[in-house]
Amino acid sequence: MVQNPVTIVARLLLFLGLWTLLAGFEPASWIIGVPAVLLATWTHGRLTRASGPALKLGGLLVFIAYFLWQSVRGGVDVAWRILRPRMRIAPGLQTYRIRLSDPAARVLFLDCVSLLPGSLGADMREGVISVHAIDASLDLAPELEELETRIAAIFGLTLEASRHA
Amino acid sequence: MHEALMATALVLLITMSVGLVRVVIGPTPADRMMGAQLIGTTGIGVLLLLAFALELPALIDVALVFGLLAAIAVVAFTRRRVGDDQS
Amino acid sequence: MMAAWLEVLSIVLIALGAFFYATGTIGLLRLPDLYSRLHALTKADNLGLGLLILGLLPWAADLFQALKLILIWVLVLMAGATGAHLIAKRALRGDGEDEALR
Repeated sequence: MVQNPVTIVARLLLFLGLWTLLAGFEPASWIIGVPAVLLATWTHGRLTRASGPALKLGGLLVFIAYFLWQSVRGGVDVAWRILRPRMRIAPGLQTYRIRLSDPAARVLFLDCVSLLPGSLGADMREGVISVHAIDASLDLAPELEELETRIAAIFGLTLEASRHA
Repeated sequence: MHEALMATALVLLITMSVGLVRVVIGPTPADRMMGAQLIGTTGIGVLLLLAFALELPALIDVALVFGLLAAIAVVAFTRRRVGDDQS
Repeated sequence: MMAAWLEVLSIVLIALGAFFYATGTIGLLRLPDLYSRLHALTKADNLGLGLLILGLLPWAADLFQALKLILIWVLVLMAGATGAHLIAKRALRGDGEDEALR
């Protein structure tokens, strides 16, 4: 598996930055830092497929803003439901057929579902995810579709035609 | 300012302790495991507040390690299967 | 010396963070089932920590410390979302110890 040297150097710089962040500029820390950075770069290379999709910076920045806003919405929504004298909940499961095919994008999708208002990513089997809804009377599909479209934009992927369960 | 941080840390300690009631009453092991999630988020909050209130920046590193350990605890728990003890 | 408005903003953010933490705990105790409790715990506590860290950022000694605080939030966020997913999956598939205990 031959990998592009540019991506290896970029990865190396990323882990160097991370180490500096964790340990500061203390020169002695590099006794552990250099092996750790090299090991992390190597492990990352082993775990990533050479043909994996490249991240799009623009899509990523838009996604971070969207993600932060959704976290606030999700937190406020759940707080509002809990704090009412009679809680506004009707828990139930919904299924959603995932249109992302890339495994990394799918994992990100499943993790982010738990931070959307009212939904919790519970399980994924053969491209169908089970989402737990705190209020099952609401259809979660539109929110999930938007999240999926935005994740596709980070990886520069195109979605398969909509055919959700 | 330090007093405000200290007071908030105290409030968080109280919410965390109250949350641990769920660990005691369960009823399923998964409910009890949420205690690790709770400590992972609230405990870090308390440590970060104390880091600034007591001017001990090292507590930020403690918070970081706490977060990593809580994550590992949850993963380890969910990987357990019935009969693991017998083998 | 820090501007007064920044200090007020910081205290407001930290107090809001504590409010969401408290909500998460109330949800953990009040909600009737495991999955709903996970909703409360992940969403409310993650927002609580996010607001708290945002409120602490002006007090950071330097840029590195500020970035480290943000890194902690990102790590807890990933751990929280993954943990909630794993606990929910385990309960849904009933492949943990719970079934044997029932």
